[in-house]
Amino acid sequence: MSLRLRLLAIIGVCLVMLWSAVAAWMLLDLRNEMRAAMDDRLAASARMVAGLIGQLPAADSSGPERRAAALDVVARDGLACEVSLMRGEATLQTVARTAGSPKLAGAAPGYGIREFGGKPWRTYVLQQDGLRVVTADRMDIRDKLLRDVALSAGIPFVVALMGSLPLLWFGIGRGLRPIERVRAALSKRRPDDEAPLPDVDAPPELKPLVVTVQHLLERVRETIARERRFTDDAAHELRTPLTAIKTHLQVARLASTKPGAGLVVDEALANADAGVLRFQHTLDQLLLLARLDGRVDAAPNEATDAESAARQAIDDACDTRGPTFDLVLEANDFPISVPVPKTLLVLALRNLLDNAMQHSPEGRRASMQVRRVGGERVIFRVLDDGPGLSEADCALATRRFWRRPGATSGSGLGLSIVSAIAQGFDGELRLRNRDAGGFEATLTFPAIAVGVRP
Amino acid sequence: MHVLLVEDDMLVASGICAGLRLHGLTVDHASTAAKAQAAIEVSSFDTCVLDLGLPDTDGMTLLVRWRAQGRSLPVLVLTARDAVEHRVLGLKAGADDYLLKPFDLDELVARLHALQRRAAGRSVDCIEHGELSLVASTGEVRLRGEPVTLARRELALLRALLQHPRQILSGDQLRDRVYGLDQDVESNAVNVHVYHLRRKLGADIVETVRGLGYRMGEVPR
Repeated sequence: MSLRLRLLAIIGVCLVMLWSAVAAWMLLDLRNEMRAAMDDRLAASARMVAGLIGQLPAADSSGPERRAAALDVVARDGLACEVSLMRGEATLQTVARTAGSPKLAGAAPGYGIREFGGKPWRTYVLQQDGLRVVTADRMDIRDKLLRDVALSAGIPFVVALMGSLPLLWFGIGRGLRPIERVRAALSKRRPDDEAPLPDVDAPPELKPLVVTVQHLLERVRETIARERRFTDDAAHELRTPLTAIKTHLQVARLASTKPGAGLVVDEALANADAGVLRFQHTLDQLLLLARLDGRVDAAPNEATDAESAARQAIDDACDTRGPTFDLVLEANDFPISVPVPKTLLVLALRNLLDNAMQHSPEGRRASMQVRRVGGERVIFRVLDDGPGLSEADCALATRRFWRRPGATSGSGLGLSIVSAIAQGFDGELRLRNRDAGGFEATLTFPAIAVGVRP
Repeated sequence: MHVLLVEDDMLVASGICAGLRLHGLTVDHASTAAKAQAAIEVSSFDTCVLDLGLPDTDGMTLLVRWRAQGRSLPVLVLTARDAVEHRVLGLKAGADDYLLKPFDLDELVARLHALQRRAAGRSVDCIEHGELSLVASTGEVRLRGEPVTLARRELALLRALLQHPRQILSGDQLRDRVYGLDQDVESNAVNVHVYHLRRKLGADIVETVRGLGYRMGEVPR
């Protein structure tokens, strides 16, 4: 259902309900007031007739001539009056009555409703000074009057209500026009449009929506830019070793045609080999990152012992670089596990260790500490005595393909991989310079407590 | 031809250096923008191969700086980024040519020769000096229509002299062109090559300007 129709329905139904309740209330009130007013008139008429008769010269009401000359009052239809003489509580004789009016003799004093000739009448009986005056009017005529009043007041009301619906339709349309403007502005955009959303003249109620859409577009734009930069970087990182391979192969081929260039050929082929290794390394890292990006949701519930993972990472690192590592385990509450698959945890620690070894001065030892914090988290700290990174570089270091200024080796993906593993398993990677000099990489994961070691 | 190669990746750089040398070019390699700036200030180069991703200063910035300094050295930009805007930016910054990694070594050499030829205001590949002719891209030398075989250094020396036939080139300048900046060579190395050139192409082919250096001489009839 369109917003316009919806608004119209809601407002329309509310209006009709509200005004119908008001109308019912008014009608009820009107009916009571009219009934009271007409009853008053009935009583007033009775008193008036009694008063008038009282002023007439005293007559022998018992005379037959009087009876013959019984007063006939011409009355309009629906209104009746009857005057009788009384003695004590008994009616002696009816002296006057309106023409065509029913016999009202039986009515009790005061107000009452009686049925005469199949129609209900409202009666008022006044007894004073030996006179009994009865006035009456027909209820159906009262009701008709009430209906007429209600109708003459109700028809304009209904017409106004019906008229307000098209007005509402028009007004809502006008009111919703800013939404249409925003929609038009959005529909003109292409997904890769880099320009910010043009300022739309939006009312305050729509401003939050517009701002939210603008922020969303901004984020989408950033994501696209990041993806584009990543593709660009990946192309660059893969093309560089590919260039080395291709160039050295061409050199080898060229040199092989020249006499006495055997050394050049060997060197070129060795270099091409080195290029292939680098290509493979970068490709492996890229694929690993891609897999990490994809698997976060489907991470299996695997727990890894923190200490053994740290030891294995150190063993692996020492295998390639020689034993330059201290492993410091603050062991009071070990064993402890972290919810990260072992291969990934070892890989993350290994990457941190590789960085530490690469940047530690010759002959200095880098170290790793594993420690439990507050019973809930396990911290792996890798420390080196290297030159560290500037504040700005610390923030950039986990970016894909980032290398420290001046560095020419490495894929630039090591810390990105650590960061991706941390993010995928509710962990955190922090990089900072140590106060005492050197650099510290801290990898934190939630802890899973395991029973006491046998 | 004396080429300055500015490339930060050692593996790629060593390949290009070896390849260009095999094609008879003299190459100096700078791994950073600062080293490139230093090299260009102490020696004269015929062409430059510039990689854009340098560790210290972006290659593009370096190029803009060179152009601002009035250096008209033909520059071939080498990059692994193939986005069109990179190419356009490079050319706008003053690059003369553009090659995407990975490239073909032969193509690189051919483009460098074309750059040098254009810079020298020639529209054909062949440099003629009297009855002596040199095909720049292949290094083929003919004297009165007869092919002459020259050693690599001799050819580099002849190229340097033919590139600027009226200009006097000092011994140091010639040594840079023939050996590049890095190599330690004997002080009389250029003399030796001049001697060989004279022996192969005639005594007057190189003229000695006493106290200043050498320039292209007459081709004997």
